[in-house]
Amino acid sequence: MASPAVQAPRSAPSKTESYVDNKRKDDIRRANIVAARAVADAVRTSLGPKGMDKMISTASGEVIITNDGATILNKMEVLQPAAKMLVELSKSQDIVAGDGTTTVVVIAGALLKQCLSLLNSGIHPTVISDSLHKVSLKAVDVLTAMAVPVELSDRDSLIKSASTSLNSKVVSQYSTLLAPLAVDAVLSVVDPAKPDLVDLRDVKIVKKLGGTVDDTELVKGLVFDKKASHSAGGPTRVENAKIAVIQFQISPPKTDIEQSIVVSDYTQMDRILKEERNYILSMIKKIKATGCNVLLIQKSILRDAVTDLSLHYLAKAKILVIKDVERDEIEFITKTLNCLPISNIEHFRAEKLGYADLVEEVSLGDGKIVKITGIKDMGRTTTVLVRGSNQLVIDEAERSLHDALCVVRCLVNKKFLIAGGGAPEIELSRQLGAWAKVLQGMESYCVRSFAEALEVIPYTLAENAGLNPITIVTELRNRHAQGEINAGINVRKGQITNILEENVVQPLLVSTSAISLATECVRMILKIDDIVMVSHLSLFKKERDCLWRLQSFLLRKPPQRGKRVCAYYEKKKYL
Amino acid sequence: MAMEKLFKDEATEEKGGRARMASFVGAMAIADLVKTTLGPKGMDKILQSTGRGHSVTVTNDGATILKSLHIDNPAAKVLVDISKVQDDEVGDGTTSVVVLAGELLREAEKLVATNIHPMTIISGYRMAAECARNALLQRVVDNKEDAEKFKSDLMKIAMTTLSSKILSQDKEHFAKLAVDAVMRLKGSTNLEAIQIIKKPGGSLKDSFLDEGFILDKKIGVGQPKRIENAKILVANTAMDTDKVKIYGARVRVDSMSRVAEIEGAEKDKMREKVQKIIAHGINCFVNRQLIYNFPEELFADAGVLAIEHADFDGIERLALVTGGEIASTFDNPESVKLGHCKLIEEIMIGEDKLIHFSGVEMGQACTIVLRGASFHVLDEAERSLHDALCVLSQTVNDSRVLLGGGWPEMVMAKAVDELARKTPGKKSHAIEAFSRALVAIPTTIADNAGLDSAELISQLRAEHHKEGSTAGIDVISASVGDMAERGICESFKVKQAVLLSATEAAEMILRVDEIITCAPRKREDRM
Repeated sequence: MASPAVQAPRSAPSKTESYVDNKRKDDIRRANIVAARAVADAVRTSLGPKGMDKMISTASGEVIITNDGATILNKMEVLQPAAKMLVELSKSQDIVAGDGTTTVVVIAGALLKQCLSLLNSGIHPTVISDSLHKVSLKAVDVLTAMAVPVELSDRDSLIKSASTSLNSKVVSQYSTLLAPLAVDAVLSVVDPAKPDLVDLRDVKIVKKLGGTVDDTELVKGLVFDKKASHSAGGPTRVENAKIAVIQFQISPPKTDIEQSIVVSDYTQMDRILKEERNYILSMIKKIKATGCNVLLIQKSILRDAVTDLSLHYLAKAKILVIKDVERDEIEFITKTLNCLPISNIEHFRAEKLGYADLVEEVSLGDGKIVKITGIKDMGRTTTVLVRGSNQLVIDEAERSLHDALCVVRCLVNKKFLIAGGGAPEIELSRQLGAWAKVLQGMESYCVRSFAEALEVIPYTLAENAGLNPITIVTELRNRHAQGEINAGINVRKGQITNILEENVVQPLLVSTSAISLATECVRMILKIDDIVMVSHLSLFKKERDCLWRLQSFLLRKPPQRGKRVCAYYEKKKYL
Repeated sequence: MAMEKLFKDEATEEKGGRARMASFVGAMAIADLVKTTLGPKGMDKILQSTGRGHSVTVTNDGATILKSLHIDNPAAKVLVDISKVQDDEVGDGTTSVVVLAGELLREAEKLVATNIHPMTIISGYRMAAECARNALLQRVVDNKEDAEKFKSDLMKIAMTTLSSKILSQDKEHFAKLAVDAVMRLKGSTNLEAIQIIKKPGGSLKDSFLDEGFILDKKIGVGQPKRIENAKILVANTAMDTDKVKIYGARVRVDSMSRVAEIEGAEKDKMREKVQKIIAHGINCFVNRQLIYNFPEELFADAGVLAIEHADFDGIERLALVTGGEIASTFDNPESVKLGHCKLIEEIMIGEDKLIHFSGVEMGQACTIVLRGASFHVLDEAERSLHDALCVLSQTVNDSRVLLGGGWPEMVMAKAVDELARKTPGKKSHAIEAFSRALVAIPTTIADNAGLDSAELISQLRAEHHKEGSTAGIDVISASVGDMAERGICESFKVKQAVLLSATEAAEMILRVDEIITCAPRKREDRM
């Protein structure tokens, strides 16, 4: 028989080889886990209502103070691939749920820690990975069973969950103000025809320095962080406004083809000036003829959107002008004002205008803003004006508000609430622990350690609040074992209470997606056994291809002399 | 005896044994690199770019790993090439082919060490490959006649392919997606009609198949967001201004009103162009280039839905699926072929708004929307799905099916072993070596799953000694099991391609007895 002859030489070298191979693989895996855990540890202390903030000073010298996991990780420039995956993880949580970006990373870190000890006891990574998958499925079931349904009409519940999210931020003392604001903002953009979809782009956040966070307000209408252009004495307040959004320029004509005016004698100069005046005047007359009294002018880089001369005439015609409106905002503005953008003076007709009760320039702190309120047939959009005493506070307030908005959005998508304060995690840990006893073999062992890993959340919450984590977690476990599934850590009182009664609630989606995303990420890290360095040549080639394409694209339409490629893209944006 | 210098400076030459050694070592190193990704419990690799940004890819796909490697060794390059060819031809088995070629060379190295001439080895390998192929041909199952069974075969193949990828947890879901998509193609292998869109957010299970076409663009401001019975004109034309395309052209005028006139003329020209376009009787206009504000408004006034800046891929595919042609002049409305679809509307996936064309002319077209936790997951999911789609579309044409899980390798090994016993002469050693190389594939699968490969393989061999055995390695239960029962199937075409191209590559590398490295071309260091 050939078989022994075949078997012998095959098995001998493979033994030694696989030994060497395995060693290297383990090292890579361990290095990955260690790096990923380092990332998780970095954000651990910012978890929970008494979590600390981080100050990040970026390469450009800018300083950011934040408590938002996604922002911290985003600004940390990690290079290690596995660490990068954790950063991505927090980004994904930000996209899916918008909140819980710290939680997800902390859970992933704790799971990785358990994986390391499982690996050390010689369990194959794929077995660990499979049990993790089962754990995540089971966990989602457990969480769903714990959840309490909520109605969108139940404004109080929505406000509660928004304030839970806000409580862990720098602006927590303003949560009574910001939470209802976030709820109202989201509810006002929900389209009754499609009640499950919320596009947060319909909520615009305008930041303005000055005042305190207390002065933050929800504006039913539009706010521009600009002053009205009244250098020539134009109006700053218009009632019964008829608003036009224009995408053309009120300035001397300019052709796409290069042109030069040849002046041969002095009288001609006079004539040209006069013509210019007439040209602008005729435009403004056409505008005035429709009854329009507020103009929003899109920014243009090819030529001046308005000149001093046209401003002067516009002021004479009692038209309020806001210039330099970004092209990206046009869609939002037209949607809000229920009007159409006008890109040519010939198309300036009354039916394209929007109507509002009041357009007014308001002084705020050292700057001015323009508010448009009482819009007729207003689209489903809303604007939040965020105030703060310094730029850092404003930025953080904006991030916190964004999280709160996301929380409300989650509730609109999936109308379930779950208790906060570490209650779901400890309950998960308990139920998974019980489940592990039913399972057999390696899986049981893995599930048990993951159940333990989930205790990291209440543990960290207690630790960050300055409580004794071991006493708290054991007591919490005890209370849950007795059937109080809503017992959680009350950080303010420093003890265990029924957390639902304390109004600490969060959307179910935040918890479930944190668990499933964290496990998915950990499984991916586990499955990696090698890091291959790839030459950037292939990448370089791709870029070069791109450039070449761009070039050939440009050659067909040569840009104006001296303009660079990026300027071309600018042009796309503004004209 | 001083030899004249034959080569230029810096050019090197390696001869005979050394050259052979260099190519063996290189090829084996490559094979070992991807070896651990083989099989359902194979591991992934991180590909880290050394360039700017240090971008990271996580993958299990042999072709992707090899493609991005930077390799100097010529023999190793041959292996990278065969994996690439395998990817282009059949789409799957890219790792298997490299592992098999590596094993063939490993065996050949031992034979060369015992002074067997490479040519003898080659002819032995050739005989063995032919015999192995025949052995497979005898055992193939073809269910083309029975539509029901054929579909279940496809499902099985898709699931087997996907089980080694990131999608393995949701393989049934994705296998169904892939089979549905491929069945829509009705036998064509044109995967262009299947569009894959990746959107982060949600989980892999939220991915879905959509009959129709989805374009990741926005509808212009103030235009209808929903159109029924759409007539679509797909174009590639400048919608900013028609310019004189001579560089430096300029007009001279002597007054401001003249400038205004020219500007007005330019606008009129644009208006005329838009009128011409609208005169095609369309209600949807898709342009590859930008549509500026002015024409956009004109379209909005006419109630035409205009989509600007659709990329190359986007419009070509759109033209394909809606049955239109890409137009760039609009003077003869009769000669332009318009695209049609039943409904265009804006839909929202995750946080993004997309444009959805449903009821398109070409019924084969469909879109698979992938959802996942992060871009890494999505990219890898796309690669995996692409593999499955390739294999399926090949199988639809060549419906012969084999069992998986190391079964084909064992069948081939058995046949090759028998051939070795019948063949006189040194060739028989080479044939025997071929069979050993084939067995290395199930061995690797078992090793990767952390199983005792020596034990399992000998069990498997004993099973296969019986006639008509369907035994293979069942990685999930860590034992030798009946592959037919567990529904683990592979496409015959993939296996055949693996066998033939691996043999050819090994043969090519074996023939080498001299490596000449040319002097690098001088150029200033750019990077």
